Amino acid sequence: MNIEQLVLTVLTYGCLYGVMTVSLNLQYARGGMINFGTVAYFAAGAYAYAIFTQEPPSGLDQYAFGFNAPWWIGVLAAGVASLLFAIITGWPTLRLRGEYLALTTFAFAEVFHSFLLNERRIGNGSVGLSNVNRPDFSVIGLEDKYAFATAAVVLLLLTALLCRRVLASPYGRAIDAIRDDEIAAETVGKDIKRMRFQVFVLSSVPIGFAGALYAMITTLVSPNLFTAEVTFFVWIALVLGGEHTIKGVVLGTIALVTFEEVVRSFHFETVRAAEIAASVEHIMTGAIFIMILRWQPFDRIKKKRAAA
Amino acid sequence: MTLIAQYFVTGIVTGCFLILATIGFSLTRRVEGFLNIAHAELLGVSAFVTWGLNVKMGWPFLPAGLFAIVFTAFFGLIVGRIVYDPIRKLGPAVLLISSVGVAYVIGGSVDALVGTGIRSLNIPLATTYRFFGVRITDYQMIVVALAALTGLSLAIFMTKTKTGLAIRAMSDNPGLAASRGVDVQQTSRATWLLASGLAGLAGVMLALIATLSTDIAFHQILQILAVAILAGLGSLYSVLLAGLIVGVAMDMSVYFIPAGYRPLIAFAVVIIVLFLRPEGLSGRKSK
Repeated sequence: MNIEQLVLTVLTYGCLYGVMTVSLNLQYARGGMINFGTVAYFAAGAYAYAIFTQEPPSGLDQYAFGFNAPWWIGVLAAGVASLLFAIITGWPTLRLRGEYLALTTFAFAEVFHSFLLNERRIGNGSVGLSNVNRPDFSVIGLEDKYAFATAAVVLLLLTALLCRRVLASPYGRAIDAIRDDEIAAETVGKDIKRMRFQVFVLSSVPIGFAGALYAMITTLVSPNLFTAEVTFFVWIALVLGGEHTIKGVVLGTIALVTFEEVVRSFHFETVRAAEIAASVEHIMTGAIFIMILRWQPFDRIKKKRAAA
Repeated sequence: MTLIAQYFVTGIVTGCFLILATIGFSLTRRVEGFLNIAHAELLGVSAFVTWGLNVKMGWPFLPAGLFAIVFTAFFGLIVGRIVYDPIRKLGPAVLLISSVGVAYVIGGSVDALVGTGIRSLNIPLATTYRFFGVRITDYQMIVVALAALTGLSLAIFMTKTKTGLAIRAMSDNPGLAASRGVDVQQTSRATWLLASGLAGLAGVMLALIATLSTDIAFHQILQILAVAILAGLGSLYSVLLAGLIVGVAMDMSVYFIPAGYRPLIAFAVVIIVLFLRPEGLSGRKSK
């Protein structure tokens, strides 16, 4: 097992998924909104980046647009795409609560996935877009793998800072107030509908950036990279990290990514053995998830600390 | 014209299967008060138990199917007791999220035991009958008959038997039911048995009419959710109508739009219903 490679992979993907968990944390733990369609915003970002930086279609390509733009325009487009998608999906759904919101966002993500799969003009359908452009890091003398790890860390730090800044402000306290007691918050003149919408839209922008970075790293976007599994993965990471603090959810994500990468880095003699290992990884992830929700160890630690 | 009629009939069969798959889900939602995402995995469990007994052990289909239903019923009961009972006080959102974990564990276990690949039961090929140019196989007719029978017997069970009455009382007001002498624990267990048994029945039907692969369960949950929402979460009788609507809409859509969008119809239904009439067909306000 190559330790350096493992650390780099964990750092890159851990921070990448960490961006999503931190955003989701803002939506769920602070805004009280269950978003079960996280992957759609991620995919929107990745596809926007790929479409904007891709060369115009030629030969067997079936996609309709490729703007051949520089990478930073692609990244901006990714943020905007995610923002727009959040506006489109958030505006009608946010009046729904709890499980209904979870189901609608889930439904939207599935619809989006189905469009990516079936509408070949977006991104070649199930084939996806390959050879996605990467920014050239040789200018600043960094190897690609270090550069992407750095980029992921920076993106995560920026997201975390933004979240902290927002939550520490009076605006953040208003958000908390709405989550704790909507009627009381409304009585003191907070526009609940608008604030929920703002939080929802704002928190989806970093997810779009993460999508762009993901497309750069894998140099491929295809529908089967963006399934509901990603959403569930982020949710499990969120719960694993104890739900409420930014530090907690980031640690949770990195722990989960580490766990998966370690399982994957073993070498298996047969296909069947690898298959079983993948299933066992699923079983263990699910089991840990159930146990954390049941015994809530993080809340207990927090309470103990508060008591001491 | 015949083609449209054919799609319509296939849609009815799909709808009847969806009814079987959704009733247990709605029952859980109504009595236990949460959306059990792992419900579809129970269909997978039942389908693969049937497959294992039928193909690997050489049992005839009928005993294999019956065993699978009973096995799934008790399996669901055990999962309910071990996982969901202790966390019920944490509220429906936590239960919903937990059930995703349960779905992971069950799905992973089925994957590990069965492995990938496409499988089918060791049963005679379906015989096709023609009525006015519309084809229907005998297995499809079994699904329709069983859906009708299940709807009927569930109605009788819920209105005539003591357990059925207890389930209804508990779903409307657990506190009041308990104070009027309904054994809440026992009723909850009966619900888990019944809901999981119905999932088992749906799983056997799935094995009968479809080819099996281990990701099949996940595809079902999407459609189950669509039917349950259209019916109104937690209502039972409107599941019958909602199942047929979603089934027919999905299969008839193939006539008008590319077949790849067929699963999308179910979700279009979810989104439209939640916008226009969040309480669903039944009109029951959800708690």
